[in-house]
Amino acid sequence: MSQLTHEDARKAAQRAELSAKLTRAFILLVLFIGAIAFIIPYYVTLAMSFKDQSEVATTSMWSWPKNFSFENYVTVLTNRNVVFWMLFKNTVFITSLVTIGTLFSCSLGAYAFGRLEFAGKDRLFLVLIGTMMLPGMVTMIPGYVLYAKIHWVNTFLPLIVPAFFGSAFNIFLLRQFFKGIPRELDEAAFLDGASHWTVFSRVLVPLSGPALATVGIFTFMGAWRDLVGPILYLNDADKQTLEVGLRTYAALQGEKWNLMMTGSVLVSIPIIILFFVGQRYFVKGIVMTGIK
Amino acid sequence: MSAAFAETIQLRFLCWDGDDAMKAIWAAAESFEKAHPNIKVKVETVTANYQDKLLAQVAAGIAPDVVQLDPASFQKYSIRKAIIPLNDFIKKTHFKIEDYYPNIVEAHSLNGQMYVLPRDIAPISIIYYNKRAFDEAGIPYPDGTWTWDFKERPELREKDFIWVCHQLTKFDKSHRPYRWGFAPGWQDLLWNEFALSAGGRWADDYKTPTKIRFDDPITMKSIQYVADLTLKNRWIPTPTEITSVLQSNSRQMFTQEKVAMYQSGIWEVPNMRRDLVKGKPGFFDWDITIAPAYKDGTRAYPTGGSGYGITANSKHPYEAWLLTSWMAGEPGMKEMVKTGLAQPAIMKLAQSEPWIPGPNTPDDQQYPKNRIVTHQSVPYVVFGPLGTEWPDASGIATAAFSRIWDGSAQAKDIIPKDNARAQERLDYLLNQGRLPEFNWTIASVCGFALVAMLMCWIYWPERKVRRTHKQKKENRIAYLFIMPWILGVLLFTAGPMLLSLLMSFSDWDIIQPAKWRGAGNYVEAFTFDPRFWTSLKVTLLYTVFAVPLGLAASLALALLLNVKVRGIPVWRTCYYLPSVASGVASSLIWRRIFMPDGGLLNAIIYGPSGKGNFLGLASLLHPFTTNGEPVNWLGNEHVALPALTIMSLWGAGGGMILLLAGLQNVPTYLYEAAVLDGAGPFKRFRNVTVPMISPALFFSLITGFIGTFQTFTQALLMTDGGPNDSTLFFAYHMWRSGFLSLRMGYASALAWVLFVVVLIFTVAQLKMSKWVYYEGESR
Repeated sequence: MSQLTHEDARKAAQRAELSAKLTRAFILLVLFIGAIAFIIPYYVTLAMSFKDQSEVATTSMWSWPKNFSFENYVTVLTNRNVVFWMLFKNTVFITSLVTIGTLFSCSLGAYAFGRLEFAGKDRLFLVLIGTMMLPGMVTMIPGYVLYAKIHWVNTFLPLIVPAFFGSAFNIFLLRQFFKGIPRELDEAAFLDGASHWTVFSRVLVPLSGPALATVGIFTFMGAWRDLVGPILYLNDADKQTLEVGLRTYAALQGEKWNLMMTGSVLVSIPIIILFFVGQRYFVKGIVMTGIK
Repeated sequence: MSAAFAETIQLRFLCWDGDDAMKAIWAAAESFEKAHPNIKVKVETVTANYQDKLLAQVAAGIAPDVVQLDPASFQKYSIRKAIIPLNDFIKKTHFKIEDYYPNIVEAHSLNGQMYVLPRDIAPISIIYYNKRAFDEAGIPYPDGTWTWDFKERPELREKDFIWVCHQLTKFDKSHRPYRWGFAPGWQDLLWNEFALSAGGRWADDYKTPTKIRFDDPITMKSIQYVADLTLKNRWIPTPTEITSVLQSNSRQMFTQEKVAMYQSGIWEVPNMRRDLVKGKPGFFDWDITIAPAYKDGTRAYPTGGSGYGITANSKHPYEAWLLTSWMAGEPGMKEMVKTGLAQPAIMKLAQSEPWIPGPNTPDDQQYPKNRIVTHQSVPYVVFGPLGTEWPDASGIATAAFSRIWDGSAQAKDIIPKDNARAQERLDYLLNQGRLPEFNWTIASVCGFALVAMLMCWIYWPERKVRRTHKQKKENRIAYLFIMPWILGVLLFTAGPMLLSLLMSFSDWDIIQPAKWRGAGNYVEAFTFDPRFWTSLKVTLLYTVFAVPLGLAASLALALLLNVKVRGIPVWRTCYYLPSVASGVASSLIWRRIFMPDGGLLNAIIYGPSGKGNFLGLASLLHPFTTNGEPVNWLGNEHVALPALTIMSLWGAGGGMILLLAGLQNVPTYLYEAAVLDGAGPFKRFRNVTVPMISPALFFSLITGFIGTFQTFTQALLMTDGGPNDSTLFFAYHMWRSGFLSLRMGYASALAWVLFVVVLIFTVAQLKMSKWVYYEGESR
């Protein structure tokens, strides 16, 4: 009898293992097919970046380069009209400050909206969301005039400084995550006499790795790829950012698609690296793994 | 010289040229500095959003001294006195304006004043032809004597342009053309040229149009004729195949030998030289010729061209003139000519080496031989109708042209009606009457009152709340935490928002002081503007589909990519890649994917034979096709919006990240508990996963709606709002009103209407947010 049960259990385990394997294989298959569809635009970009102009012109967009060459990369990286490394330096400077500023100011705001009680909280929250609802293009000219009045035009300031004063989107995002974290830990900390700042910096922030990584990726990418801001506020050739500078290759009537695509690949590399690194924070925090 | 002269003056010079032309501009600026040691020149190039940036700078009074403008754009600055007339400078410096093509000078003048010193002229009269194709067909190369008529005239043989188009077209066995005879550079070029040369004009006065005349019989006949050549004869590819908003595909079709001839401007030459290199695969011999005349010998060609003007805020107008006349004069243009990009507006330069190849011209610049046609075309150029009101009004008349191009309507049946509506709009825009000045005192009072009311509303529920000592402390600390945001709103957000609200009650063209219009903008939006409801409908429809679909796709991806399989970071990156690729690059690729013939999507749906029916999609799409052709995704008004919706799903990677982050907050023990309770996978998803990630879902939903209501780039990069306004997003209509028609007051009113719509949606969602579960709230 007991023999039989044991056999049953073994079979059941085998079945479970098989079904788990099948599920995994199925997931991999779905992932694979989907990934092809999602990679296609990037594949074309990459393929075109290795073709010379005449191959781009005379062959299909979908073909893999016949005469594989790094010449476009050499051209883009050494073009003296569009100095890649200077653009890169400017972009890194702006983007890193914007990301730091956003992470700092938005997590502060989110802590108040997500964990604290204060006068006018609910309606201020609606105001917060409300600031996202007006299309930026009608506030663009008034904003520009404002920055011109305080002589910020043609400096990095209009692009960087606002990041230190919070953005509605990210405050809202982090608030959602902060509100989802159980209160037990902060209550324990308060009993130990911790201040709000301690709870914020020692409890909430460490527990919000995935959320902060998300905000970091979104913000970095937004600033890295921003076109309208730098175009509007930066005049000098040596102050431009990558996204703006590389747009030169797509200039009307003189577009060079191979160089344009090469630029697109180069611009995307840091984002891809960051995305890889950022994923490390996509793990469950201690409270989520079962200690309760 | 006097001491004052020793002072260095700095001039800013703004142009829209890209890579190649920039070298010429820098070289010219350098030689100018050498010739004028007391003047320094700072060259600024803006290759995207040029007009937006210039407008912002003009509005702030910090525009560069010298700016590049063209006949289509200078008027809006000149009539508002943002650029200054150049006639006095010409007189004072005895500048030889008679060296320039007189009709180009005229095109840059208004009411007898010249505002822009012409730099280049670009008659779009150049037909690039494949010599091999002519040889194979046994037709002599064109000699510039082509004529055309509203029918093929085989008796004229190679003298008849239409006959040549016919002869050069090659069909496969199933009577589908695999090489077309001719492709215009973009959709409107061919009918523009036909109508113009046959005597059709679509405005009564091209400088200051007051009557729209697309219903002119010759114009209508030309439009219909081009449609017939495309659809019935099939000697010309369809509009979606030849154009994209950003670039013309015609050149590429030509270099890939999918068309035997194509028409464009001379600016294609440097690209052509790089595209077709002797000795490299794919090379064939080519040259250019002049586009045909009408049967009675009349020639007329649309044209491009630009020049430099001086802004009114320049502190050194005289020095700016020196720079202008240098850059658009012989020194600057000699540099520009070397690039082969721009045909100089100076007659002498346009007829001599190096613009026209001669014995001293290097080998690689010998192509094309027949460059003198650029000079021969200039007397026949016709600039398009100008006037700030023109794009807005004429767009109503031309929106439904897409129906003519896809064969679902005849020109004579739809144009007269749409033309009448366009005329109504133009009359409305022209008869605004005199408006009183905007009263800033009253506006400021109203502004303060509004802010005060907002504050009262925020703190109204607080009037009865009594806080304990501890709560008061928490309140103070909370305000410290949100202080950066509050300061940010006060410093950077509130002012511009308030100003745009005030401007929505004004008539404001960005450049001149605003005028008081009362509720006029809102009244216009709801009653007179035919595109208000259209664009609102398009946006609502798109939002209602794109947001839930996008959220579902993000959730599916997040769940799939949350499993523990090998290489998960790589998989995640793959799905995030489309969000990483640059906008311009992706729009190019997406246009190819949606192409009716040879597009990737249709290749999947219809298979390689063209007869397939993948997942029954071909039958499903059948009602939106004509003559059993594959569906034309971006060219058909019924499927263009769905096409953009499909495209938006490729952006699901962003939402995926967010939900992945949310999934990390689902405690494992809850699943374990659910399994012990015997809950299946669906129940676990429904009762554990969804509630635990509901805060992230809720965020995606709210911000998804807010963002999608403001959709704009897809229209700008992919469809220009067409076909027949079927992708005219509200925000795109707003942008065109504000920045193209310079009606920023009206655009602001539209923005605030959108604000209210989005607010209603959002508040409704907040009210229905009971399904959102916050672990931290369950005390």
